Amino acid sequence: MIQQLILNGVITGSIYALIAIGFTIIYKTVKFFHLAHGVVYTFGAYLAYSVISSNLFNNFKLKFFIGIITGIIGATILGVLIDRLVYLPLRKKKASNLIFLLASFGVFIFIQNLIQLIYGAQILTIRTGSIKEGHHFFGAVITDIQIIIIIVSFFLLIVSSLFIKKTRLGKAMRAVSDDPITASVVGINPEKTIFTSFIIGSSLAGIGGILISFETNIEPTMGFNAILKGIIASIIGGIGSIEGSVLGGFFLGLAENIGIWKIQAGWKDSISFLILIIFLLFKPVGILGKKEEGAG
Amino acid sequence: MEYLLHILVIVCIYSILSMSLDIILGYTGIPALGHAAFSLIGAYTSALLSLNLKISPFIGMICGGILASFSGMIITFPAFRLKGDYLALATFGFGIIVYSIAKNWVSLTRGPMGLPGIPGFKIFGYEIKEVWQYLIFVFIIAVMIYFLLSLLINRPFGRVLKSIREDEIASCALGKNTQFFKLRVFMLGGFFAGVAGSLYAHYITFIDPSSFTVIESLTILLMVIFGGMGTLKGSVIGAFLLIMIPEFLRFVGLPSSIAAPLRQMLYGLILVILMIYRPQGIIGKYRWK
Repeated sequence: MIQQLILNGVITGSIYALIAIGFTIIYKTVKFFHLAHGVVYTFGAYLAYSVISSNLFNNFKLKFFIGIITGIIGATILGVLIDRLVYLPLRKKKASNLIFLLASFGVFIFIQNLIQLIYGAQILTIRTGSIKEGHHFFGAVITDIQIIIIIVSFFLLIVSSLFIKKTRLGKAMRAVSDDPITASVVGINPEKTIFTSFIIGSSLAGIGGILISFETNIEPTMGFNAILKGIIASIIGGIGSIEGSVLGGFFLGLAENIGIWKIQAGWKDSISFLILIIFLLFKPVGILGKKEEGAG
Repeated sequence: MEYLLHILVIVCIYSILSMSLDIILGYTGIPALGHAAFSLIGAYTSALLSLNLKISPFIGMICGGILASFSGMIITFPAFRLKGDYLALATFGFGIIVYSIAKNWVSLTRGPMGLPGIPGFKIFGYEIKEVWQYLIFVFIIAVMIYFLLSLLINRPFGRVLKSIREDEIASCALGKNTQFFKLRVFMLGGFFAGVAGSLYAHYITFIDPSSFTVIESLTILLMVIFGGMGTLKGSVIGAFLLIMIPEFLRFVGLPSSIAAPLRQMLYGLILVILMIYRPQGIIGKYRWK
């Protein structure tokens, strides 16, 4: 029993970490809670669903592949569009974080309901072939899809943290994160860096959404839970820290799944928010984070 | 006609909610994103008291308000230590926790099945049944709350609240115990939101947790911002307009499966446009810096 719960925690945690890392990459350059990140995740999943469930191509593998690519590209474009259409005007006005947060919430509500209007409120499923029994693994059962989720997430988590640490673009991002004015003095364009961070962050969200849509079902409200968990993971890991958000994601996934060992599954969300509030009150910088304004 | 009266009752209830949020959000400048939680507590307390213990809804309403007010005390603890978007997130979390308690504590609240058959208000043994009677009743309460709150905020109490909003450190320096003021303003806002929740419960006669979601909190927040933060009139205008505008969608004859998401889309769009072009709302003077 406990092995299964830990395994479920790792699977959930890897999705949370994927959202959290995308959120953190964006947060690092823009410094506000990009709530609409959650709807980018939903959008990716729905776009992949539309292609895979359509009868455009006869070859199922090809259709599957194109569906995934369309989902990722669509999510990326949506993320960048939100930045250009909503956040850019606000940045020009030097709006406060709270205004960004609320505008982001507005975007979230708008797109989520647009998706609901188009696809309906019901749960949809992407068929990925026949149902097979999972593999037995240390007393727990794991399916093929779950193995893929874990491998893909770990791969992306490693690649994106290497990207931030080692590449020129990643260094530019960290420079803008520390001090946008000094960064622009040494020739780093903050707007361009924000643009890049939205591309990377949103594509990670899209991948997360598509991965979860193979594992469970998709519904228009799925992004809400996802982004809340992503933000909580980032905060408890230490906001703005890439390693922290990964750690926070796994911590949250494990805490939720082991938590329901003793209490009912309906309390999952309460567990994560309780963890958030405890962290905000007693350790607002998170597990790995540096001192941040606003909290504490 | 009956339907129009019903909409006006809803407008009155939302006006109470938005006014009670306005003293927290607009006057004191605390970003509270979990206001529906207070109205949930008020609604459930008063509904459960009248269903299980046959207590008069009036007493239930007061009890609901008081309990909501005490839960406002809990939310003040994050407000002591956090600011800005972090505080917004913590209050958001409070809203979600209260919602999931109502949803999961099935033995008390019947969870997602909700509480049906909540009795209505009785005045001297005469039960308020007709919608127009209820409208007069709610309208009187809303007007009373309006005058009570405007009385409060025009007194030194209100001026201290505004000083906390403008510069908390400065008002601390002038010897004001700002934390105590924050506590009181949350208790006050919580109380009236609880009353509004109870008015809703006894009017609709059925409540379930889905009427008090985070989206509901956001709707109340939007009403305050739309009308203009820091003005009670603005909150009433905001509540009126944001209830009335989506009703046109229904008049056009759209089915509810289309009208419901369209209404939410409209709210989202209004929020984004307000934030970009007019963060102070229609008649407001105060805006977040």
